Amino acid sequence: MEKETLMEIGTFTALVLTLLIFSFLYKENPFYRFAEYLLVGISVGYYLVIICRNTIYPLVIDKLFVQGELLVLVPTALGCLMFVRLKKKWAYLSRLPLALMIGFGAGISIPAMLQARILKQMSASMQSLLTVNGVVILIGVTSTIAYFYFSKRQEGMFGRFTQLGTYFLMVFFGATFGYTVMSRISLLIGRLEFVLRDAFGIIS
Amino acid sequence: MDLTRIDKRIIYLLLLLAVAIPLLTKLELPVNVGPQTEKVFEAIEEIPAGSHIIVSFDIEASSLPEVQPVAEAMIRHTFGRDLRIVGLALFSEGTAIGYNMLSSIAQEFGKEYGEHYIYLGFRPQYVSAILGMGEDINSVFPLDYMNDDWTEYPAFAKVRNYSDISLVLSIADGSLPTYWVEYAGSRYHQKIVTGLTAVMATSYYPYTESGQLVGMVGGLKGAAEYEKLLGYVGGGQRGMLAQSSGHLLIILVVCIANIAAWRKRR
Repeated sequence: MEKETLMEIGTFTALVLTLLIFSFLYKENPFYRFAEYLLVGISVGYYLVIICRNTIYPLVIDKLFVQGELLVLVPTALGCLMFVRLKKKWAYLSRLPLALMIGFGAGISIPAMLQARILKQMSASMQSLLTVNGVVILIGVTSTIAYFYFSKRQEGMFGRFTQLGTYFLMVFFGATFGYTVMSRISLLIGRLEFVLRDAFGIIS
Repeated sequence: MDLTRIDKRIIYLLLLLAVAIPLLTKLELPVNVGPQTEKVFEAIEEIPAGSHIIVSFDIEASSLPEVQPVAEAMIRHTFGRDLRIVGLALFSEGTAIGYNMLSSIAQEFGKEYGEHYIYLGFRPQYVSAILGMGEDINSVFPLDYMNDDWTEYPAFAKVRNYSDISLVLSIADGSLPTYWVEYAGSRYHQKIVTGLTAVMATSYYPYTESGQLVGMVGGLKGAAEYEKLLGYVGGGQRGMLAQSSGHLLIILVVCIANIAAWRKRR
């Protein structure tokens, strides 16, 4: 089949699926559910193909059978042990690769997160108090953290201070909601551009 | 008529019209370039021609309409500056999207695979992948997307780890830029920029303020700003009028519903 014909079939399929998904806006219906299940099925299938072609082939098959690196057998065996969970009698063996993964994950991520998410962020929030930004950041950070301090009843001066923290939180929620609206409308624009330009050729 | 109980399908229809009608017109809104976009632009401008950068497609197909204009603008800039791109994906769905995007823009700029760009494909377990590339990219990606040995391309043969990479550009719709910051930035002092969906932007402002991210290009608005800096009209600038009219409608609906609720309570 020619490339152009294939492209036309692809565009038509995408148009139909877009309309099926949009039909949910009217009400839940079997056409929408068909498109939804199709998406889930295709995503899983695609993931399996990519994993086999782009990960298992170069990292296991090529290394083991083409380059003869026998050391690859160790992680491969550990990976295979994950599947013994399917048999109750041998399920305990899967704890070994799981323990390794959890240990490796915790060991790697705890210091990295401490450094990147806490220490660096703390140092960035310590700014000169001679600037308006510095003062706003100081009040915002301390009052918001104070709001999440639950060992003291939030009343009196402390209560008023923590309430200030909720105002900072609301500004954050408002900004996030605004960005979310922008994001969702962008997705709608993208889809409508596809329908109007690629499918129907109404716009250039 | 009870305005606090408008049928949501009417709002959907109004939103559809508010977005579709501006797309049919050829009007464009003026775009002001924000500081974050400018920082990303400057970071790419400062890199000497011929240097290598990583472009990581950390995206899923569902966010493509929003992220595509951002990614296209940034990739056009890097090809325009004669930088060499090492493409990869840390989300499986981003694999084919990234390859298609890179190869089509490369074709537009007359760039050759293996000489100006390569595509390494997907690797699961992004923490291991990001950390592993800090030691040896070839051990994480021994073969490229086509299952060829990419170290045989002379232009990329000397790329060993982050010390040979001038910048990492994470095109993302989730939390992947955080992992780039945590593992490539903190540990290997790699410079990182991101192009991401608008919904994620507020999460990354703390990282740009602290300098952990050089800058970010957020959503369609960011794409429009970047296109303006590059001097062309793409998906970002084309969508700005539709975006603004959609926002106006939502502000209007929120105001009407709130006033109606307030009057009802009285």
